[in-house]
Amino acid sequence: MRGASLWRDAWRRLLRNRSAVAGGVLVLVLAIVAVAAPLIAPYDPLAPSLGDRLSPPSAAHWLGTDDLGRDILSRMIYGARVSLQVGILAVALALAAGAVLGIVAGYYGGLPDNFIMRVMDVMLAFPSVLLAIGIVAVMGPSLGNAMIAIGIVSIPVFARIVRSSTLQVKSNEYVEAARALGASDARIIFRHVLPNCMAPLIVQATLGIATAILDAAGLSFLGLGAQPPAPEWGAMLSGGRAFLRIAPWVTAFPGIAIVLLVMGFNLFGDGLRDALDPRLKR
Amino acid sequence: MYRRSALAIAGIILVLLLAAGVGSAESPKYGGTLVYGRGADSVSLDPINVTDGESLIVTRQVFDGLLQYNEKNTSVEPALAVSWSASKDEKVWTFKLRQGVKFHDETPFNAEAVKFNFERWKDPKNPYHQGAFEYYSYMFVQGETDLIKSVDVVDDYTVRFVLERPLAPFLANLAMTPFAIASPAAIKKYGADVGNHPVGTGPFKFVKWDHGDKIIIERNDAYWGGKPCLDKVIFRSIPDNSARFMELESGSIDIMDGMSPDDVKIAEKNKALKVILRPSFNVGYMSLNMEKKPFNDIRVRKAIAYAINKPAIIKAFFAGLAEVAKNPMPPSLWGYNDKVKDYQYDPAQARKLLAEANYPNGFETTLWAMPVPRPYMQQPQKIAEAIQADLAGVGIKAKIVSYDWATYLDKIAYGEHDMCLIGWIGDNGDPDNFIYVLFSGSNAVPGRASNYSFYKNPKVDELLVKAQTVSDVATRTKLYEEVQQLIHDDCPWVPLVHSTPPLCAKKSVEGYIPHPTQSESFRNVWINK
Repeated sequence: MRGASLWRDAWRRLLRNRSAVAGGVLVLVLAIVAVAAPLIAPYDPLAPSLGDRLSPPSAAHWLGTDDLGRDILSRMIYGARVSLQVGILAVALALAAGAVLGIVAGYYGGLPDNFIMRVMDVMLAFPSVLLAIGIVAVMGPSLGNAMIAIGIVSIPVFARIVRSSTLQVKSNEYVEAARALGASDARIIFRHVLPNCMAPLIVQATLGIATAILDAAGLSFLGLGAQPPAPEWGAMLSGGRAFLRIAPWVTAFPGIAIVLLVMGFNLFGDGLRDALDPRLKR
Repeated sequence: MYRRSALAIAGIILVLLLAAGVGSAESPKYGGTLVYGRGADSVSLDPINVTDGESLIVTRQVFDGLLQYNEKNTSVEPALAVSWSASKDEKVWTFKLRQGVKFHDETPFNAEAVKFNFERWKDPKNPYHQGAFEYYSYMFVQGETDLIKSVDVVDDYTVRFVLERPLAPFLANLAMTPFAIASPAAIKKYGADVGNHPVGTGPFKFVKWDHGDKIIIERNDAYWGGKPCLDKVIFRSIPDNSARFMELESGSIDIMDGMSPDDVKIAEKNKALKVILRPSFNVGYMSLNMEKKPFNDIRVRKAIAYAINKPAIIKAFFAGLAEVAKNPMPPSLWGYNDKVKDYQYDPAQARKLLAEANYPNGFETTLWAMPVPRPYMQQPQKIAEAIQADLAGVGIKAKIVSYDWATYLDKIAYGEHDMCLIGWIGDNGDPDNFIYVLFSGSNAVPGRASNYSFYKNPKVDELLVKAQTVSDVATRTKLYEEVQQLIHDDCPWVPLVHSTPPLCAKKSVEGYIPHPTQSESFRNVWINK
C-alpha cells in the first residue's frame, strides 16, 4: 500500500509540473512518430532523386531536400526511430550492467567494491565522448557499435547510483530483520534493495537517454555512428554542413529535431526527479 | 597630310602613355605572404616518394627538375638542364646542366648530384633507396626492366643517360614534378627522414612543417630563375570545403584549392574574390578490384557500369564544371578515342548481367571513398552515396568505407579495396602517363600499384610498350586508341568524370596560372596591395 501511494504521490506532483508535462508530451509525440514512421513518411528516406537536389521547403517537400534530393521530412521521421532506439538501448545496456556492478559493490563491499568502483572511477576520468570515440575506433564505425560504446561509457553513473542506494538500504533494520529470518542474498537484493533504488534510477535513465541521443548524434556527425545512407539526425547534420550557405534547411531541421527530443527527455527527467525525490515533499 | 600625321603621332603617344599606365599597374610587386588553403596535408616532401598532388604542389616550389613544363601547358622547357641532344637511335641522351646553381644548403648543383639522385631512385640496393619510389617505376620501369640503363657524369656540367630502348615520353617524363633533383648532402644527412627536410634548388626554401596543419616555405633570393615575388608561402590544410571557403571570404587565406563547385556561384557574387579555372586534365573513376570476387567476373563489372547513372551524378555534383568520362584519359589529350561507346545507364541490363553471373539478388561489398576533396572529385563522400543508391537499385549493397588520406592511398595500392573512388591528374601531357600508369600489368604490383584494379591484359601491355618505343605521333595515337577500346571492353573501371577544377582567390592575388598538371610554380605569383 505504502509503495503504491508513493508512486501515486509522485505522479500527482509530476502532473503539476508544467515543464515536465511539456517534456513528456514532446517525447511521446516523437515516439509515436518513430513507431508510425512507415505510415506517415511521405517519401522513401533512402531514395535519392538527384534532379531535386537541395530544393528548399515546398508543398512537395515540406522541409526541402538534401544534397542527394532525398526528402528531409521523411528522413527525419525515420531518424526519430534511430535516435530513440539508440538512446533507449544504450541506456538499457548501461542500466543493466551498472545495476549489477553497483549492487555487487554496495552489497558485498570490501575487495569487490574496491575493484569495481576503482574501474568506474577510471572510466569517469575520461570525457565520455572521448572514451566512446576510442571504443568505436577499436570496434569499427557503425550505429550498433556507437550504441554499445555509449552504453559502456554510461555504466559508471548507474553503478554509482545503485551502489550508494544499496549502502543506504543495506543498513536498514528491515534488511537486518529479513536476514535474521534467513532470507538469501538474492531475495534481499531483489525484494528490498532494488525496489528502493528505482526512483533515482528512473530519473537517471531518463536523463541518460537524452545524453545518449546527443552522444550518438555526435558520433554520427563525426562519421563514427550511423553509416550512409542511414537517416540519422547527427549524420544528416554533418552531411548538410557543406551546404550551410546555400541550403540551410538541410542542417537546420535535423538540428531542431535533436534539440526537441533531447530537451523533451531532459525536462521530463528533471520533472521526474522533483516528483520522486522525497526530500522535496511538501 | 601634315595635320593628319600629327594627329597620328598624338594618338600613338596617347596609346603609349596608356600602355605605360597599364604596364605599371601590372608589374609585379615584391613582398607579402601567400596563404594557400587546401583540402589535405602533404603525405611527404620527398617528391620521388609521393604520388599525391598535395605533396607535389609543395615540392614543386622547393625543387627543380632537369626540365620543366611551360607555365600554361605541357611543352617541355629547360630548368636545371639548359640543353640536350639525343643519339640517332634515341637511346643515348646528353644534357648540359645549368652552371652556378646552388642547393638551399649551399652545396653546388652539378652532374654528380644528378647521378646521385637517379641512382637513389633506380637501385633498390642503394643505401638511400628508402621508400616506394612509385613514380620512378610508373614511368621508367617495365616489368623487371629499368629503362634507364645508366646515368653517367661526362664532366661537371654534362650528364649522359643510356636507355634500354627508345622511350617516346622520355623528356616529358623528366619534366615531371616527382623527378626533382634533391641535395645529395641533405639525403645523406637525413636518410629516411628526408621527406621532412626537403632541400632543393627551387624558388622557395623549406622552413617548417606542422603535420596536419601547415607547411611554410620562404623565398630563395639566389633562385637561378630570378628572385620570386612572394616572401613566404603558407600551405594550410583545411579539410572541410565550406570551412575553407569561409576562411577565404574572411581573409585568413589568400587562395583556395579544392573549391566545391556549389560555391562557385557565391564566389562570383563576391567582389573581393575571383574564380580561377584550372584546365581540365584529369579523370575521376571507380576502380573495381579484379583480384577480388565477384569483380573478377566481367559480367559483374559491366553490370556495375550499367547500374550507375553517371550523367545525373555529374550534373548534380559538379555544377557544370565537368563532363562525363567514358575513357580513362581526358578528351583534350591527343590519342583520345572518341569512338568508344560508353555503357549507358540501364538498370535492367545490369540486373540481367548480374543474374547471368549468378548474382540474381546482387551481393554485399564495400565502396571506398576518399576522405578529402580532390580536384577531380570535390565531394567524394556524396558521390559515393549517390553511387551506393544506384547500386542498391540493382541489388548490390555497398558499404562506404574511408580512411585518412595517406592510409587510403596506401591501402588501395595494396589492393585491400573492393571498389574504390580515385582519380588521376595528368603529369606530363602524354597518354602514356594515363594509360601505362593506370593499366599496365607492371604497375599492378601490390604495395606500389597505380593500376588499382589490378588489370592484367597481355595484349594491352604489348600495345602500351610498343607505343612507348615508337616516336611517331600518328602511330602512337592509333595504338592508344586501340588500347582504350580494349580497356572499355574489359571494364576494369567505371570512368566517371573529367572535371574542370575551380580555384578561388582574393582579387589581390596576381600571376597565379593554374597548370593542367596541378603543380604550378609560385615563382611569378605576387600580391597586389
